Amino acid sequence: MVNELLNMASSDAGKMVLGLIGVLVFVVVNALLLTWAERKVAGHMQRRIGPKEVGPFGLIQPIADAIKLLGKEILTPAKVDKPLYYLAPVLIFVPVLVSFIVIPFDASLQVTDINVGILVILAFSSISVLSILMAGWGSENKYSLIGAVRSVAQNIAYEIPLLLALLPVIMLANSLSLKEIVEKQEGLWFVVIQPLAFIIYFIASVAETNRTPFDLPEAESELVAGYHTEYSGMRFALFFLAEYTNIFIVSAIAATFFLGGYQGPLLPGIVWFLLKSYFLVFVIMWLRWTYPRVRFDQLLNFAWKGLIPLAFVNLIITGGLLKI
Amino acid sequence: MTPGEWIFIGVITATMAGTLAAVLSGSLIYAMFGLVTAMFGMAGIYIYLNAPFLAMMQILIYVGAISILIAFAIMLAGPMYRRPKEWTTLAKFAAALAVALVSLLLLLKVVIGATHNASEAKPLVVTTQELGRIFLDRLTLPFELVSLLIVVSIIGAIMLALFSKGEK
Repeated sequence: MVNELLNMASSDAGKMVLGLIGVLVFVVVNALLLTWAERKVAGHMQRRIGPKEVGPFGLIQPIADAIKLLGKEILTPAKVDKPLYYLAPVLIFVPVLVSFIVIPFDASLQVTDINVGILVILAFSSISVLSILMAGWGSENKYSLIGAVRSVAQNIAYEIPLLLALLPVIMLANSLSLKEIVEKQEGLWFVVIQPLAFIIYFIASVAETNRTPFDLPEAESELVAGYHTEYSGMRFALFFLAEYTNIFIVSAIAATFFLGGYQGPLLPGIVWFLLKSYFLVFVIMWLRWTYPRVRFDQLLNFAWKGLIPLAFVNLIITGGLLKI
Repeated sequence: MTPGEWIFIGVITATMAGTLAAVLSGSLIYAMFGLVTAMFGMAGIYIYLNAPFLAMMQILIYVGAISILIAFAIMLAGPMYRRPKEWTTLAKFAAALAVALVSLLLLLKVVIGATHNASEAKPLVVTTQELGRIFLDRLTLPFELVSLLIVVSIIGAIMLALFSKGEK
């Protein structure tokens, strides 16, 4: 299998390099766009306008911000645990890049269709928690460490309903390949059959990406900035990029699993896929500016006593109905 | 050597380095990250054995769940400098050494005695289907026993949480 993979890589070397450049460009553009969109959405929800000075509708604002970040000095605090401190922002990018290998943007626009595709994304997403832990531990800062501890607890709690909410869809589609799951939704989106699973997945994914109302790992009013308190300049920007790309990835998985992915009338598939994904991204932003942060006990109780039992019931009912 | 073999050597080296870090590191958190590296190496070996599903499960369960739980346990444990002295007595060290030596000898016997024949069977394309079939067909009893074990441990954990010392 490894030889097959290597053959594929060498025979399609040009395509591979193009794909990688495409992914990197997409990651950066997506993050720039989302920071702008976040400020605009926040502005309009609070009856302000948001950024408007730099470029039309303030569209060039994120580029100005990015240049400012690039120009900043990269400080390394004296007492940090060096290997962990340096490795964390690099490692947080691994799951982000791996996820793009299997996401089907269009019927033919996918780096490679692995038959255990969704498992690749879910398996590698755990690395982001490990790198948050590395950052928190390596920073030798109490706020960072508390942020990392919260992140770990939150991740244990919300990983379970997330997986349990995706399982009914995998059972319905009879496949782990993202492309096949999309193909099975021709005519009827799985959100119609599995509305509960969709809601559970969406809530759990908001928690997994550390977004408000579940942003306790980086709660700025309590923890300064949580696990990335001690990071500056480009290292901080890497955390930032990874966070915004993760928002896109969870939305893209939701669109693929529940909203028919790239399927839709008239418009080309990629337009539908991006429309659905960015609509969900908008909903995540909408949540952020609508709800206050939950308390930590509420957060854990909600997962263990609410979401997980519900997800199990949903899974058992789906399994039962499929076998009748 | 082909590139595939070079990568294989890299995977093995990473696995060994990870296990060594897990065993030898004085810091618990480094030991945990060593374990994570070793688990990734194991997943790499599964890829070489044409079992991508097992490889992903290895990462999902051992890196995503077990290691995170270990991290959680480290977070809940007391700081290292408050380590009680009775943890490392001579008797305990001797017992640990004896167990390690006996298991090393047993492993060596197995490794030296094995003939390492490559399987003639063709690798499966869709491994998940075949795995599911085997679990609910030929291996039903062990499969159910494992689930029983998990139920017992869950009940045990709940009992510990409910009736921890001093509280009723």
